[in-house]
This record gives sequence, C-alpha cells and structure tokens, in this order.
Amino acid sequence: MKFANSVDKILPKPLKSSIDLGLNRRNYAQFRLILIFVMTLIVTLPVVIVAGLGYYYYKDLLQREELDQLQWQLDGKVKSIEALIDNLTSVVQFTARSDRYRELVVGSNLEKLFVRLKRQYPLFADLGVIDHVGIQQNYWGPYDLKGTDYSQEDWFEELSDKGLHISGVYAGNRQVPHFSIAVTNQDPITGEMWLLRATIDALTLQKFIDTIKTNASDDLFLVDETGTIQTLSRYYGPILTQFSSTFDAGVQAVITDDGEKVFQIKEKVKNSPWSLVLVKKQYIHHEHWLKFRTKLLITIVICISIIFLVVFTLAGALTTLIRKAEETQLTMLSEAEHTNKLASIGRLAAGVGHEINNPLAIIDQKTGLIEDLLLMSDAEFEHKETIQGCLKVINQSIERCKAITHRLLGFARRTDVRQEVLQVNDVIREVLTFLDNSMTFRKIGIKLQLEENLSPVTSDQLQLQQIFLNIINNAIDAIDKDGEITIMSHMLAGDVRVVIQDNGPGIAPDILPHIFEPFYTTKETGKGTGLGLSITYGLVKKLGGEITVHSRVGQGTAFTITIPLQSKKNDQG
Amino acid sequence: MIKANRDNIKVLVADDEVEFASTLVTRLQLRSFETTMVNSGEAALAAIQQNEPDVLLLDLKMPDIDGLEVLARLKQDLPHLKVIILTGHGSLEAGQEGMKLGAYDYVMKPVDLQRLIEKIEGAYREKTAG
Repeated sequence: MKFANSVDKILPKPLKSSIDLGLNRRNYAQFRLILIFVMTLIVTLPVVIVAGLGYYYYKDLLQREELDQLQWQLDGKVKSIEALIDNLTSVVQFTARSDRYRELVVGSNLEKLFVRLKRQYPLFADLGVIDHVGIQQNYWGPYDLKGTDYSQEDWFEELSDKGLHISGVYAGNRQVPHFSIAVTNQDPITGEMWLLRATIDALTLQKFIDTIKTNASDDLFLVDETGTIQTLSRYYGPILTQFSSTFDAGVQAVITDDGEKVFQIKEKVKNSPWSLVLVKKQYIHHEHWLKFRTKLLITIVICISIIFLVVFTLAGALTTLIRKAEETQLTMLSEAEHTNKLASIGRLAAGVGHEINNPLAIIDQKTGLIEDLLLMSDAEFEHKETIQGCLKVINQSIERCKAITHRLLGFARRTDVRQEVLQVNDVIREVLTFLDNSMTFRKIGIKLQLEENLSPVTSDQLQLQQIFLNIINNAIDAIDKDGEITIMSHMLAGDVRVVIQDNGPGIAPDILPHIFEPFYTTKETGKGTGLGLSITYGLVKKLGGEITVHSRVGQGTAFTITIPLQSKKNDQG
Repeated sequence: MIKANRDNIKVLVADDEVEFASTLVTRLQLRSFETTMVNSGEAALAAIQQNEPDVLLLDLKMPDIDGLEVLARLKQDLPHLKVIILTGHGSLEAGQEGMKLGAYDYVMKPVDLQRLIEKIEGAYREKTAG
C-alpha cells in the first residue's frame, strides 16, 4: 500500500485512476501525451542503450584490432631495420679486422678498400682510421680530414666503452644528411686500440624505409633520441626537423595539424639511436566502420519510427477506450446512484408507512369504539357534542393519515400490472375528463397534438391514467394561472411517446435532478405530499417505460413518457 | 342500530397487536358477534382446536407463527373454516397470497368496520350455505 501511495504521488493527475463523479474529469489529451511519452521512453530507452553499447563495443573492438595490427606491422618493420643496421655494422666490423690498422694507415690501401666497399655499398660516403688518442690517421672521402682530432667528441668516449657507435643523422660539412658507424679494434702489435669510422648517406635509411613502408597513406619514419626526424616524414616534415611530439614507445592517438585523427606508434630499434615511428590514420576499417554505423543508424531510426507509430496508435486507442469506459462508468454510476437513491427512499417510505399504519389502525379502532359507545349511550351529558365534534375531526385526520400511508406503501408496493390492449390517446382523453373545473377559472388551456394512428399498447390502463393525471396536475400547479399545457403523442423507435409540456415558470437546474425523489416538493407545506412525481416515476418504471424531464426557467417544463408497446410481464400473480 | 341479530356468529380475532385486537373484539361484541381474541399464531391454533369459530380474522404478521403459516395448517384440518386476512396496506400481495391459500377474503388495516362486518357476514353465509 505504501508503494501504491508513493506511486500515486509520482503519477501525474491524468494518470490517476480515481474517478470523481463529474468533478475532476481526466484531461484525456494530457493523458494521451503522457502515455505516448512514457511508452516511447520505456520502449526506446532499451533500444538506444543496446544500440549505444553495440556502437561503443564494436568501435572499441575495431580500435583494439587496429592497434594490434599496427603493433604487429611495426614489429615487423623494426625487425627489418634492425637487420639492416646489423648488416651495415657487420660490413664495417669486417672491414676493420684487427690486424689491418698498419695496412690501412699507409698509402692508398684505404682508398682501395673504400673503392671496393663502395662498389658493393654505393652509399658509403667516406672512411676514416682513427688511432687510440682520437687523431684521424688516414681518411678517404670527399674532404681532407686526415689529422683531425676526435678525442673530444662524445662518440669517441662512448666508443672506447662499447666498441661500436652508430651516430644519428647529421647534415655534416656537405649539408647532405648522413650517419656514421664507428667500430674499435686492437692492434695486435702495439696492443693499442684503433677505430674505423664509416660515414653512410642517410639515403640508405630513407630507401629502406620506403621499401618497408607498405601503405602509401601511412607515415613511417625514424627519429633519434632527441626527437629529431631521421628520415622524411609525411606529417612532420623533412629530415632533421624536430618531431613535435616526443613520446615514449607505445601507441598514441593524435590529431594532426590538418585535423586528421591518427595513431602514432613508436618502437625502439635495437643497437641504434633510432626509434621507428608509424603514423597511421585511425580506422583502418574505416569503410567497414562507416557502413556499420549507417546500418545501425538506419535500424534505430526505423525501430524508433515503428515504435512511435505503434505507441501513437496504441495510446490513442487506449485513451479512447479508457475515456469511453469511464464515461460509460460515470453514466452508469450516476444512473445507479439515482435508482439506488429512489429505491432506498422508497424502502424508507414503505418502512415509515408500515410503522405508522399499525398505531393508526389502533387509533382508528379506539375512535370507532368511542363513537360506538357514544352512540349506544342515551344519556345526554355535558360536552357530548364537543366530544362528537372532536371524534369527527379525529376521523378526518385518520382518513388523511390513511391516504398518506396508502400512498407511502403504494410507492414501494409491487402490484400486478394488468395487461390490457389500449390506445394511449384514449387514455389521455379520458384523463382530461377527470380534471376539475378549476382549470377554467385559472385560464389554463389544454392543447392536444395526438398522432392518430398510434400502435395500440398492452399496458395497465389505471396506472397509465395515474401517470398522466399526476403529470397534468403537476403542470396545472406549476402554471398556477394563465397558461397552456400541450400534450403530444407519437411513435418513436417502436415505442409510444407522450410529451406533456407546460409554459409555466420551469424548474431550476438545481431542483431538476431531485423532482422524482419522494417527499421532494416545492409546494407549500400541506399542499403536496411530494409523492406525486415519485409515484409517477415508479409507475412508469413498472410499466417498463421511461420518463424524462426537460425544463428551462421562464419557458416551461416538458415531461416525456415513453411507453413500450408491451409492458413488462410482472412475475407476480 | 349497532346491535343486530348476528345468529351468534363466532368470530376469533388473531392479532399480536393487543390494543387493536381488543378494541376490534369489543366493537364486534357490541354488534352482537360472539367474539374472542388471541394474540399469537400458536394461541390461535390452540383456540381453534378447542372451540372452532365460524370466522377467523387472521393478522399476517405475528411473531411466532406467521399468519400464512397458520392459514396453511388450518386449511388442511378444517377446510370449511372461513378466514379473513387482516393485512397492512403495503401487504396487498400477502393478502392475495392468503386468498390463494384458501382465505375467504382480506381486509386492509386500518379496518373499515362496516366493510369488515359485511365480509364476516358474507363468510358466515357461505359457510352455512356450504
């Protein structure tokens, strides 16, 4: 119940199921809107959530797969570069065999070696032999660098430790990018260390990179430890420009200056100062991805459209259904209420009638007895006439009471309905002869508009008379003076319909609903019992008919009595 | 005027409303009916066993045995007993029900004495004739 209460609080008013009789009607338009909104939300939400999850998981999956593929590609390329560098290093190391120092520092031996080397590796730029203190003892290349002191260079010290040094790419004196490979060895005679240093055109690297670059749209280049670009980069410029984003090995999602979404993946090349960088546009499965996205979008749009259509139709139908049901319920409720009210008042009236009837019978008998005794006593005594007078009045009062209880009980009584074949018009005409002369004095005219060929009805003549008489009397009382009563009869939907209309003052709207209730009277106290119309109502119902009233203040009142051709069979008697 | 030769018609009034019954009895006695009174269905049955009246004025609503029940029992043993039902205004159907069970007639309360006497006499005539 608590839950229901809280739900009740949350729910907007049009959704609440309480039906207030006539007072607080649902706002059905609002109800429909809320219904549409809530239903759409409930149905659309899962669709959107599932679609969203699908979208993101699929995207994630594609990216992961893409990255894996990138990593795998890069691994392969790094391996190739490592192989290249190993190869170059081996060449230099082979050239600098330990026992060749003496041979290479003398005469044209270095030149011969260089020529042989260059025949196989055309991109070797020069060769130099450096002694253990850093002085270049022999040199073959485009410059005269013999005697140059390298002892202060960083690489010289490093070389003494590791025995191999590969430099980054530098422009050098010729402004042609190249790099050098230097190896050490020990002269077996002097036991002193010596170096062979080869300078190689950076084009070697560039050519190799171009070979291993499998996809033209990718960017593949080398950077050194300081982030200087070593081979041409599509995105970041030519050799020796600074690579803008210095980052550790791994993957990075970057947006380039052109606004392109790319992945940058970097991996260190072993035994070298370089790292290989692969820059690749995001979504290798771009087309695939776009297709998926479009399909997803179309599916969702179609789904939601269908949902909306269904919800819209459903909400409309539901609202109509609920509205009709509630309207029917309201009508039925108010009708049932009315009938119940009349029935319970009827029961009350009957009860009161019964209760009063017994004491009344006693009073009646006692009075009768007194009268008998008075009649029997011959003696004259004081006040005898007064007593007789009183008794007369008592008897009159008893008669009045009898009339009232008779009516009260008659109201609730279910007497048999006689079945006679009657012409309603005849009954009406007969009733008019019962009316007393007071109408003439009060200048009330009666106008008859009777349809002559009405079907005969099978009903109870006396009760029909009573019905018409009651209503005509009511009309006369309403008009009071100067007026007209119109009585019309016609066939309608297989029933006979009688309309009794007066041009009296009419009945106020607040009184109108009560006029068939017993004891409801607007007449002065003592003038009416307030039972006339309620008895009439009961009679009409008993005959299986209907009675309705329409009234407009200042214009008059019309009672419409519908009499079925065959009155309801009464199961009694 | 009140008194007349009623041939000593024996009338039994069975009604639980003592004041009503006693007054009715007195008034009928004044009119030369040999009238007695009982105030319950049981008593009515007993009184009839002892001394069968010509006419029984039977109230329908009684606390112990309902008037219609009394009537049904009596009609088995004493088919010639004339019974006039006393009924309230609302109980027209009950009166008619009594007629079906073999009552001679029914009278509605408050009773119009003159009509009641006419009915008693009618019943008596029928009884003596039959």
